[in-house]
Amino acid sequence: MASLLLRSGALKKCPNLKWSIASLSTTSSRLSDDVSKAVKQKEAPQITHDTALLNPEEIEQRKRLQGYITVDAQSNVAPITGQPEEHVKGRLVRIYEPAKNAMQSGTDNTGHWEMDFDTRERWENPLMGWCSSGDPLSNMKVQFSSKEEAIRHCEKNGWEWYIQESSFEKPFKPKSYGVNFSWNKRTRVSTK
Amino acid sequence: MLRTTLIKALNAAKLSPKHVSVVSRASSDVAKKPEKIEVFIDDQPVLVEPGTTVLQAAALIGIEIPRFCYHERLAVAGNCRMCLVEVEKSPKPVAACAMPVMKGWRIKTESEMTKKAREGVMEFLLVNHPLDCPICDQGGECDLQDQSMAFGSDRSRFTDIDFSGKRAVEDKDIGPLIKTIMTRCIHCTRCIRFASEVAGVDDLGTTGRGSGMEIGTYVQKFFLSELSGNVIDLCPVGALTSKPYSFTARPWEIRKIDSIDVLDAIGSNIVVSTRTGEVMRILPRTNEEINEEWLSDKARFAYDGLKRQRLVTPMLRGSDGELTPVDWETALLSVGKVLRNAGSSVGAIAGGLADAEALVALKDLLNRLGSEDLCTEHTFPMDGSGSDLRSNYLLNNKIAGAEDADFVLLIGTNPRFEAPLLNSRLRKAYVHKELDVALVGPKVDLTYEYDHLGDDPNVISEIASGKHPIAKKLKAAKKPLIILGADILQRPDGGALLAAVQSLAASTTPSEGWKVFNILHKVASQVAALDIGYTPGVDKIRENSPKVLFLLGADEAAIDKSDLPEGCFVIYQGHHGDQGAVIADAILPGAAYTEKQATYVNTEGRAQQTLQAVSPPGQAREDWKIIRALSEVIRVPLPYDNLNEIRCRLHDVAPHLTRYGEAENANYFKQAEELAKTAKSSNLSGSPIDVKIKELKDFYMTDAISRASPTMAKCVQAVLKQKQSKY
Repeated sequence: MASLLLRSGALKKCPNLKWSIASLSTTSSRLSDDVSKAVKQKEAPQITHDTALLNPEEIEQRKRLQGYITVDAQSNVAPITGQPEEHVKGRLVRIYEPAKNAMQSGTDNTGHWEMDFDTRERWENPLMGWCSSGDPLSNMKVQFSSKEEAIRHCEKNGWEWYIQESSFEKPFKPKSYGVNFSWNKRTRVSTK
Repeated sequence: MLRTTLIKALNAAKLSPKHVSVVSRASSDVAKKPEKIEVFIDDQPVLVEPGTTVLQAAALIGIEIPRFCYHERLAVAGNCRMCLVEVEKSPKPVAACAMPVMKGWRIKTESEMTKKAREGVMEFLLVNHPLDCPICDQGGECDLQDQSMAFGSDRSRFTDIDFSGKRAVEDKDIGPLIKTIMTRCIHCTRCIRFASEVAGVDDLGTTGRGSGMEIGTYVQKFFLSELSGNVIDLCPVGALTSKPYSFTARPWEIRKIDSIDVLDAIGSNIVVSTRTGEVMRILPRTNEEINEEWLSDKARFAYDGLKRQRLVTPMLRGSDGELTPVDWETALLSVGKVLRNAGSSVGAIAGGLADAEALVALKDLLNRLGSEDLCTEHTFPMDGSGSDLRSNYLLNNKIAGAEDADFVLLIGTNPRFEAPLLNSRLRKAYVHKELDVALVGPKVDLTYEYDHLGDDPNVISEIASGKHPIAKKLKAAKKPLIILGADILQRPDGGALLAAVQSLAASTTPSEGWKVFNILHKVASQVAALDIGYTPGVDKIRENSPKVLFLLGADEAAIDKSDLPEGCFVIYQGHHGDQGAVIADAILPGAAYTEKQATYVNTEGRAQQTLQAVSPPGQAREDWKIIRALSEVIRVPLPYDNLNEIRCRLHDVAPHLTRYGEAENANYFKQAEELAKTAKSSNLSGSPIDVKIKELKDFYMTDAISRASPTMAKCVQAVLKQKQSKY
């Protein structure tokens, strides 16, 4: 924000420029004496996740092949996410459509796909009686608009997954108030 | 709730993915039925069948109209007025739930008039509703709470000018499962409609008028039904709440884990709610092919049995005859020693709650030791093709298929208590599709009328030969169903009975693809055990008298010490200290169905899996892992180390066991019938056909979990108490 203001020159008219920059800025540009020099400073180069773990020779090789057509492959971010192995190894991710809450008639929070990890041990925390867990992934409930998207996300992270299919489709049948009172049908209401 | 309505209002009801399928289905139907009529809801055109209500038409394009009394699985009542909407050129707002749409109607669900109507209804409802949300169990999942936030006014004109207090109603005692706080009732009558339509028990009703109106049983009486717990879900306010769950947890602090119920053979889909490693309650989960959105009381309330009588540590019987707790290492080593010494003289019996993973691991282990004596506790005739052809032992026409039947013949079964949700399907067909039912067996209350054909087994051959008056009906039916209870096949003439019913089924003329012959099992493990290759019945154990007997959750006392040779070592692996653990020399504590990810196959042959909701108590472990560890100790290691690998083994044995959610069809009906004729004794004995569970009090406690449940015990007491009452 501050660097944007600096670049736009809006602050140049300000009489005590130094003070206002110091109060606005949180970036390193604040520390440099010369504002114009700070603006010229370059950002740190961005490293994409597929090059992060490559050694210099491999990067060289990539550069050499830049002119050729490349085929997109499924990328795997698992080696650089820093997830400790004990939290991921041997675990299964479930991809599912959340069902409607049986206690209510609203259909909020349904109609999408979700993923979660299997349950690990929980216990009651003796301090407040709240629920404790040693599993940082226990709250990984991520929503997706389709199951393919969820699968892609899991594969990218190197998690084993499975799909839980649901059967929510109900054949449509027009409802009628009149059948409560029909004489010759068993739908006639006895109790009110 | 509030957020969605705002979003809907802003985006003019933009379609969310959940509605896309509905829309596409509606438009594909258009081609077939040209007589559809067009209406406009919030200026969006929609084509609907004639007779569709305004509310249904709106639902087709994803517009949700608020409601209290309307429920899509119950009859239309139209008494809460929350669904009032404006129709252009109509002077008054119309009740969307009961009003069929007319051609060209322009319905406005977000207009000024609609909003004002909703605010007015909400204001009236809240005048007579206590402000006790902080102490109400429905708080956080209450339709009234949510809808008053979304559609209500921000102020009320209610002032207690006479200082007479708000309306108050006396609470009713309607049994050990449902707690009533009748002051909170908004008179939507959902519970009444559920009781009379779905449960078939006409016990609830209204008395009085105006502000004196009350919902209740009129006389002091319990609302006793095998499906009674569903009124807790249906109640849109906190008037009917769960008694065992009361004041134990709030909906926002519990975790919900999808799972499968295993206390009957239907395999209802459930949601297990847990907090701090404890199961707090069990709710149904919608599955249109199995349980719709209902759940039987045993499945819903027996969960407190999971916390009592548990086996939490391995045990060995000492020289003094007492079971003493030991650690896993000692237990596995001594059990392993016994197994190694016994050689191939080992038998196993699997009980009704065993999962497919444990079943296949145990079978692999015993096969490696050279034994084939693997039995299930519940028997099934092995004459003819026995369990070789799957069509012999499945509910072939599926549970949802029962709804389309036009004639049902029940033989030796009481579906009301053996499979309450199959019975509710039959009742649905009886009410809405004029289904006729006939029953061979003892006279029981099925909640609908049926032709009682007596309990003589020879009636079956009479029908087959056409002598019986019911034969004409069966022949004429296009979609007949014959449902045979698995229980009566335990009779000595079970094979003959099965053959007779199969030939009767073959003599019908059903429409294409319709399957007449159906078996209704009582326990969750039976179909998986037969699929994997267990021998039904424990006769094999009695004949072979093994040196070591392995009980995998076998708690029905099918075998006792007197059937076994002197010095037979009994190993019990299971989760409850029930009848199996009593005769055991070594106990290996296993996990109950809420504590493991495991496969179960229901009576229609549909594989489903439970998910782990909590961890097993104490030192108890997942069942297949115990067997895997034991195999290591006796140096015949089983070739699977994790869930995926054992699932691969399941897939090798029978691929349908891992196709979760799908019911694998069975075939070879003709061949099964032909083979059944070769049965050794084709003569039916004259002894009458009987069922074990005849009335409600027998329903509640049928397995190790429900026998340990105090709530289920209270239900039995309530039934007995009700019997003494003069009502």
